[in-house]
Amino acid sequence: MSPSPRSLRRTNPISVVLALLLAVGFIYFIFSEPSDGAASNQIRDATKSAANALSPPSLPFRKPKDDEELVATPVVHYMMSNLTNSAEAEAKQETVLILTPLARFYQEYWDNLLSLSYPHELISLGFILPKGKDGNTATQLLQEQVAKTQSGSKSKRFASITILRQDTESPLQTQSEHERHKLENQKARRAAMSKARNSLLFTTLGPRTSWVLWLDSDIIETPPTLIQDLAAHDKPVIVPNCFQRFYNKELGRMDVRPYDFNSWVDSPTAQAMGEKMGKDDILLEGYPEMATYRTLMAYMVEPDGDTTKEVQLDGVGGTALLVKADVHRDGAMFPPFAFYHLIETEGFAKMASRLGWKSWGLPNYFVFHYNE
Amino acid sequence: MLPSFNSSTTGGKMHRHGYSNGHTSYSLRPSRSDFEPHQFQPRSHNSLRRRRQLIYRLGILCLCLPVLLWFFPSLRTYILSTVTLGGLFSSSEDFQLETVRYYDLSNVQGTARGWEREERILLCAPLRDAAPHLPMFFSHLRNLTYPHKLIDLAFLVGDSKDNTITLLTELLESLQHDKDPNMWYGEISIMEKDFGQTVNQDVESRHGFAAQASRRKSMAQARNWLLSAALRPTHSWVYWRDVDVETAPFTILEDLMRHNKDVIVPNVWRPLPDWLGGEQPYDLNSWQESETALALADTLDEDAVIVEGYAEYATWRPHLAYLRDPYGDPDMEMEIDGVGGVSILAKARVFRQGVHFPAFSFEKHAETEGFGKMAKRMKFSVVGLPHYTIWHLYEPSVDDIRHMEDMERERKDKEEKEREERERMERIKEQFDDPASQWDKDKNDIKDMATKEYLESEGQQQDGQHKDEHEQPEADREQEQVPAPAPAQAQAPEKKEGEGEKKPSEEEKKSGEGEKKAEV
Repeated sequence: MSPSPRSLRRTNPISVVLALLLAVGFIYFIFSEPSDGAASNQIRDATKSAANALSPPSLPFRKPKDDEELVATPVVHYMMSNLTNSAEAEAKQETVLILTPLARFYQEYWDNLLSLSYPHELISLGFILPKGKDGNTATQLLQEQVAKTQSGSKSKRFASITILRQDTESPLQTQSEHERHKLENQKARRAAMSKARNSLLFTTLGPRTSWVLWLDSDIIETPPTLIQDLAAHDKPVIVPNCFQRFYNKELGRMDVRPYDFNSWVDSPTAQAMGEKMGKDDILLEGYPEMATYRTLMAYMVEPDGDTTKEVQLDGVGGTALLVKADVHRDGAMFPPFAFYHLIETEGFAKMASRLGWKSWGLPNYFVFHYNE
Repeated sequence: MLPSFNSSTTGGKMHRHGYSNGHTSYSLRPSRSDFEPHQFQPRSHNSLRRRRQLIYRLGILCLCLPVLLWFFPSLRTYILSTVTLGGLFSSSEDFQLETVRYYDLSNVQGTARGWEREERILLCAPLRDAAPHLPMFFSHLRNLTYPHKLIDLAFLVGDSKDNTITLLTELLESLQHDKDPNMWYGEISIMEKDFGQTVNQDVESRHGFAAQASRRKSMAQARNWLLSAALRPTHSWVYWRDVDVETAPFTILEDLMRHNKDVIVPNVWRPLPDWLGGEQPYDLNSWQESETALALADTLDEDAVIVEGYAEYATWRPHLAYLRDPYGDPDMEMEIDGVGGVSILAKARVFRQGVHFPAFSFEKHAETEGFGKMAKRMKFSVVGLPHYTIWHLYEPSVDDIRHMEDMERERKDKEEKEREERERMERIKEQFDDPASQWDKDKNDIKDMATKEYLESEGQQQDGQHKDEHEQPEADREQEQVPAPAPAQAQAPEKKEGEGEKKPSEEEKKSGEGEKKAEV
């Protein structure tokens, strides 16, 4: 005789009821997560998804079935007048497009992206990768992570992901940090970078995007509330301070140092230098042979300073950069040519200011760059 | 437990064993007790209880499920989907929305024979108060020979005070519900965005010099919004087309594409009423840069915008429009620096790499001219076709309208005068007898008299009269005809046809009167 039937016969009816309750609770626990996902899927179905594969890349779409009858695509209205980009981004369900020109894939970057606390169903991702061997490796690694995330827990899934392969030639074969930062290589490198950024931006920017967050693939640490914090300032263009963690041998412990020098306030010296230059020459920051005496945001840090302190800037860096989509829609792009002797993100700030949009920086709010 | 058939095959042996050993064998092999072959044994309480428990548990589960479904309605769809689709992973993924897309931009570079490679075109049309032109625009759309399913349409409707949006939606719906599937276009998006522009869209204020800079900048803004929202990684080409184009070849997309240029525009003219010369260059924004203009640009301040076609800025640039030869080779190309926006075909990669319509003063130009400048700056080829012409709708300007009103008034005055003249003539006719019959009668009398005289003299001077006989009637006829054509020729260039014919008869009458009077 096995013991189980005997014990059941002896059990108190109360414990049966308790067991039942437990079972219900357990089943609820199992199903509760997908049930949330189903609910958000319903929202997506109703308002955000498109009925055909020709939808904007910032929206998910329903796969056409093979046996589906051939029908004409519908006429879709986008009420762009109602689109907001405000300080209460999350409360107003404003969509964010995170754009990343990706040359190397870092797992830390992806993990940091997943830890962003802004509702993922309001986030679309866009990546552009160069052609070639390095690009192929990075694409493969990226796609593995994308597949994992998009089939995993529904609260972590992003609204949509677009992966582009670049059509422009990358002027430098090597992506090593040293080679990349050589002065003579800078103009060609940053021109190619601008083209990649523009290609990514103009093909993925949808009619329902409110914000664009530029996040470089080597940004491996940001506060999880990055989007909310930056959006709360309600500025057309806003950039946090980009630093790098490293092992300080003198102090014998981990320390931080400034990394991105492209966020600055202009100086008369730099202006005078620009006037003497040829039409296609560019001014660069962070090179001793070209001292511009600009005020760099990297050096505006106050120890234990107010993280919400704002500074108006004339040039911005693109490692992490939150832009209202309207600024890009008005035409502010990353010039791949010398625009007022500026190029790429710095030229972007200049072009935005020509269009009447001011750029701001947060000197005491940090994001961290990968250390090679 | 052993299966029952197993025990029956070895039945004989066990039988004997059972007989010989009795209860010993039973106790040694308790598991075989149920299979005692010669004895009926009801199912044990044990198994019965087990079955009852199973039913009990199933019952509880069946009760729980509806309760769960009742409390969590979202579960129903989940269960329904897994049940209907077989509950397999693959099919549940089918049910999900597609969220990941992969594109290789080197596949959408744009080639000379795009229709063979199924290259997609984005057709952009910014609209404002454009309802009157929409039916014409849609007839152009229906006629395009480029495969419609490869063309995505994008419209930006802004600050419209008329029914542009409703009419546009109606026309698009009917286009997408056409019986012929070849009429259907690809993705169709209508962006509605009010920029709050105050600039008036009527012809006069649109083309006035003072309004140009700010108007061009706001037009540029609208174009950029439209493009950035509609451009996809699938597009190889972008075609900008104004809705007020009246005449254009159906094959315009292929014709422009064949040149395989980064940016290409046709020549744009417009038909005019006869009194203005019949036709006129319309789009003066396609031009080649000149030294004068570059020197002028240097003298202007940062936000100034040079606009073509105004006396304020004499640029001396060669314009695409003025180089047109109606019999020239339509494939002839011309390098240009500024482009007009009526009909631009550009490779999508031009826009992808960042060229746009500057809504600020870019090298002293804005909108489409600035676009041309920026494309050149980024080393793209910008080309115009001087002898390939499309025709813009003629909308009379305020001056033209004033002039036409003057002409109308003049015409009415003239008609009034003529009517008065005619009435006067009527009155004269009534006062005097109709002279025509009198004149005929007189003529006949003269003829009779002449014949008589002739017959009388015939007998006397028969030899010398042959010449006179022939000449006399001819001279007669000439005398009758001369008054008719002469005044008609003199007056024709000034007067309308009807008058031209009428006048001579009056003249005839006058002269007839005169003759009659003279005779009397």
